[in-house]
Amino acid sequence: MSRAEDWVLLAYRLPRVPSTPRSAVWRKLKRLGVAWLGDGLVALPADPRTREQLEWVAEEVTDHGGEATLWLGRPLDTNAISQVVNRMTAAVAAEYGAVAAEAATMRTADAAAQRRVVARLRRELHRIAGRDFFTCSQREAARRAVETLAATDPAGSRT
Amino acid sequence: MKWATRPGVHVDRAACAWLIRRFVDPAAEFVFAADSAAIPAGARPFDMRGAALGHHQGRCSFETALASFGLDADPALEEIGCIVHEADLADERYDAPAAAGLDVLIRGLTLTSGSDHDTLAVTDRLFDGLYEHTRRQLMTGRPPA
Repeated sequence: MSRAEDWVLLAYRLPRVPSTPRSAVWRKLKRLGVAWLGDGLVALPADPRTREQLEWVAEEVTDHGGEATLWLGRPLDTNAISQVVNRMTAAVAAEYGAVAAEAATMRTADAAAQRRVVARLRRELHRIAGRDFFTCSQREAARRAVETLAATDPAGSRT
Repeated sequence: MKWATRPGVHVDRAACAWLIRRFVDPAAEFVFAADSAAIPAGARPFDMRGAALGHHQGRCSFETALASFGLDADPALEEIGCIVHEADLADERYDAPAAAGLDVLIRGLTLTSGSDHDTLAVTDRLFDGLYEHTRRQLMTGRPPA
């Protein structure tokens, strides 16, 4: 995805109270991996899927008495957008790093614990990949760490 | 009657269209409109922003439609609601392992379909099969062989 391409932007405003809808929207945006451009302004690289995702967040905002508008925009300042992209990439890189680290610490665990952790980390990788819009270089390392763990001889069976 | 939704149908719209055709309006005619201003007069919108049959209270449009049409007493449809929810939103509200496969199949289908009507013709068959599978599984407590 090129950095100079279109972005879909959501500008929204929600009442401060009650706080439950505000935090529900915040969690949803966090899970989508949006770029936080300002107070109540978020963006994602535009494609039909991200556009729909933000449309439904907008719907949730208006359902709770807030205001939301969706925009399609192209950055004019490529340096500034690079910083935004770097920030998004750093966030997912940290998530991939945590997965790889956890996989590494489990190498000496017993077989049952390893199987459980492998299953959970594979799901986690899938979740992170959903918000990895720029194919972060840590993705492959994290995937390898988990698959290495999956293929590890469990400590108990070594002779 | 006429029913309107956004073009480029994916899982939630395909599931709603199937539900409407099978359980609500066998003569349903589907039209596609990019936004609510382009909906033909008299058509009932679904899975569009601002539509009653849309995402509300954390539910996907299919789940909203089930409740709205009074079909939520059918446990097989409820179960399909969980699958469609996870295929569409992937927020892990439900345990629905079939969702990932359904998402991929329909996304792939839309890449090769000639039109949204073409997509719906295939997804209708898919959901017929999913419904039958789910119904039998609920009846016997085991996945049908």
